[in-house]
Amino acid sequence: MSVIDHNAIELSPRISEADVGDYIALLKPRVMSLVIFTALVGLVIAPGHVHPVLAFTSILCIAVGAGASGALNMWYESDIDALMSRTANRPIPRGRITRPEALAFGMTLAFFSVMTLGILVNWMAGGLLAFTIFFYVVIYTMALKRWTAQNIVIGGAAGALPPVVAWSAATGSLSVEPLLLFLIIFFWTPPHFWALALFRSDDYARAGVPMLPVIAGPDATRLQILLYTVVLVAVAFAPWPLGYFDAVYGVTSMVLGAGMLALAINVYRRREGRAALRATRKLFAFSIVYLFALFATLLLEVVVHAVAPSIW
Amino acid sequence: MDNEQKPHGIVLTEAQQKSRRRRSIAIALALGVLVVLFFAVTMVKGPAVLVRPM
Repeated sequence: MSVIDHNAIELSPRISEADVGDYIALLKPRVMSLVIFTALVGLVIAPGHVHPVLAFTSILCIAVGAGASGALNMWYESDIDALMSRTANRPIPRGRITRPEALAFGMTLAFFSVMTLGILVNWMAGGLLAFTIFFYVVIYTMALKRWTAQNIVIGGAAGALPPVVAWSAATGSLSVEPLLLFLIIFFWTPPHFWALALFRSDDYARAGVPMLPVIAGPDATRLQILLYTVVLVAVAFAPWPLGYFDAVYGVTSMVLGAGMLALAINVYRRREGRAALRATRKLFAFSIVYLFALFATLLLEVVVHAVAPSIW
Repeated sequence: MDNEQKPHGIVLTEAQQKSRRRRSIAIALALGVLVVLFFAVTMVKGPAVLVRPM
């Protein structure tokens, strides 16, 4: 006797039409590019010689690990992504990729990136990469983001770890320099994301995400942005007087820091209308240039030292 | 006779077939990169590839 009447139920399984581009979008390519760049700096400023193949492997694994974090973040946050204009076009809310597909994709990439880095380079770097993915997905995405207005302050540690992973890939150990890079990105994250949250606060409020402007209001956020910018500028400048990075870095850090501070003060002072919006957008855009230029200076320093030691 | 000509199982549309093919090619390329990577690192490290410090 047949229990299921196959003629009565016609199953119509969902056949994916997802393209490769949809899966690339799951990796958050723009975030990944910043991760690659900061990791590259961590790798290049590390002492000693790293074989180019191992250097490439390390950066590739860190990039794929970052992509895996992005995919797992989109898997978990698809409900709130659908509610926010900034994220509504992501592959899951658009219906291009299902949540189980994103989960499988993210877990596969996470597994292969960590194992490959561990086996081919060293297990300290592999372990740190695994911790970074865990911190971003479980601590930040699952625990902090919907729970506290300090979400991006603590969660920022995940974004700050790539240069530390890269340094440990190059040296097999840790030192003060990668921790300085970590601190720079860590203190850069709040002003950067709160500037974004200020002009996207309606989005976050609609999705029920407790970003600081939603919970504490825009004025308190402006004050926090200013305070964190002061700390950031000091932390980014400190490696020069402490003797870790040289004078060119110190001067660059001072000039860029002055710009960052001026824009943060502008955000603090202009609180109404289009001027306030313009000030916030300027700070957000400049913060990206700030971090990029700061790390590019360190990269240039090493390259110039290698090519023409007498110049720098 | 009619029953024999009727397609069995799931029939993919042209769009589904094309996207599946592109995804398959991407997976093949990724696996290829992994193989080349492991080969290259083995060549670079030589016998040291068996040394696994924690």
